Amino acid sequence: MIETLIQIFLFGAVVGGIWGLVASGFSLIFGVSRILNFAHGSAFVSSAFLVYSLVNYGYNLYFAVLAGLILAAAIGTVVYALTKPVRDREVMVIILTLAFALLVQQVLLILFGDRGVSVQPFIEGVAEIGGLKVTYMRILSLILAVICLAGLDIFITKTKLGKKVMATAQDSRAAMMVGIDIEKIFLLVMVLSSLLAGFAGILYAQILSVNPEVSLKALIYAFAIVILGGLGSLRGSIVASFIVGYILVTTITFLGARWSEFVMLLTIVAILVVKPTGLFGVRE
Amino acid sequence: MRFLMAGLLVLAAGMPLVLPEAYLYILGLAYIFAVMVISWDLMVGYTGQVNLGHTTFVGLGAYVAALMQTPLRSGMALHPALAIIAGGVTASAVGLAIGIITLRLRGYYFSLVTAILPLVFMQTVFIWRELFGGEEGFTVENTIFTTTLEKYYFSLLVLLVSLIIMRKIVDSRIGLRFMAIRDSEELAESLGINTTRYKVMAFILSSFFAGIAGAMVVNYRFTVSPDLYGVPLMLLIILSAVLGGLGTLYGPLVGAIVIYLAKNWWLGDLIRTFSFPINDEIVLYAILIAVGILMPEGFYHGVKRWVKSISSEKK
Repeated sequence: MIETLIQIFLFGAVVGGIWGLVASGFSLIFGVSRILNFAHGSAFVSSAFLVYSLVNYGYNLYFAVLAGLILAAAIGTVVYALTKPVRDREVMVIILTLAFALLVQQVLLILFGDRGVSVQPFIEGVAEIGGLKVTYMRILSLILAVICLAGLDIFITKTKLGKKVMATAQDSRAAMMVGIDIEKIFLLVMVLSSLLAGFAGILYAQILSVNPEVSLKALIYAFAIVILGGLGSLRGSIVASFIVGYILVTTITFLGARWSEFVMLLTIVAILVVKPTGLFGVRE
Repeated sequence: MRFLMAGLLVLAAGMPLVLPEAYLYILGLAYIFAVMVISWDLMVGYTGQVNLGHTTFVGLGAYVAALMQTPLRSGMALHPALAIIAGGVTASAVGLAIGIITLRLRGYYFSLVTAILPLVFMQTVFIWRELFGGEEGFTVENTIFTTTLEKYYFSLLVLLVSLIIMRKIVDSRIGLRFMAIRDSEELAESLGINTTRYKVMAFILSSFFAGIAGAMVVNYRFTVSPDLYGVPLMLLIILSAVLGGLGTLYGPLVGAIVIYLAKNWWLGDLIRTFSFPINDEIVLYAILIAVGILMPEGFYHGVKRWVKSISSEKK
């Protein structure tokens, strides 16, 4: 029993940290440019698959990770370019990003099939905590995720560029008036968020496994997190991602992985009934 | 317009005289697909609420009808016509529940929640495998018609009835209120329109027809499978409606038939002829992206503007 509790406590944090990287980027993109980026999961899976195949071809792991991150940034740039002409048409933005996500998914399915693949972890070895065996990689991925999230928070709240991002999120027209190049900010946010998603995908593939269908599943968790945390609130998403991580791991431990989508939906519905603006949300 | 409609109807009714049975089969399925697309347009094109989970209701209608008419699965042997209606009613009941929760909120919540729905409902098929048959689905018994000719005319009839009902709705005062909500929710509310009630009403109607269409599909193909919940089908519905032009019903109707035939008839032939190393879905998504960039307002509105510009030049 105590082992199960430790397991839920630890793995929930690990999973929460990884989904936090995905959801914070999703939330940032929405907050700044009001785009629901359905292609956000594409960066997540694509970079994981690129790292996997480069390592398979015998390249160095760190080189492969760098290449994966570059691919993620490139995907962010493509999504920025795709959505730029239709940004004020909500339906078209959704269609374009969703079509792009499915296109990427199909290409990956053709190249790799639908089986899951794992990436060689940064460090090998197993630690024992209270009788529970935990790979070092899981602990490292939690640490890395927390560092990235803290770094993102500091970047947004403390640096000048981050304050420009915040200003654009609050009112893009007013930001333009005080001389902020909002197109640059949109691009920056898209690339930064895709980098975070790509890094999350690589970490995820190192501790679990990814298949092309994860790109859409990742979106469910991202949605649940941003609704729980409040649409457009970065800190809300970070806190919510750990809550969702715990809910997820508890569900998988006691009911099985098949139920995770169900429980996510119930979570979202419960939040929408009780507190529609989420934990830290601002009214639109 | 009325003459054009009558002409098209005669053309559709005469199709069995010229078309071989295999093509007739696909054309009949295209009519059912068109019901899904115009019912999506009723919600999205008229009230402006972007529903990304329309296939939830297609799949629900399909599974409810399939279970109710297959004694081997559920012990029930409902008349297929009743089973089809039961599929539609179940879908609209779920639509009501989801609508009440999400449509009272403005903005993106409705889209986010509906986007998740198909993925969630698809899991039910795997969780209760004995009942729903897992990824392979199951064979449906007691279907309403057996020959292709009967099925073709029945789906044409269902399309016609659905189109007329939806046309009547959007032309009525209710339809005007839908459009008022789409154009400005604040303004509509200030005029005393209960916006939540009308949005939910549109959603219930839209899910009802989606459920009927799903139930029709299983009575047409004799099998039910989880692809009816799928995201690819959802995207195909969106593509057809947007290509045809949102908020026009006729545009999405034409878009649906053209896209469906293109996907299941011409596209496959084309890829096989040139032996591309890709599948038809990739081509479809690429077309979708191209259309989105080149014609963000859809084919219907694009052509309409083009015709207008020509006629104004003549003057």
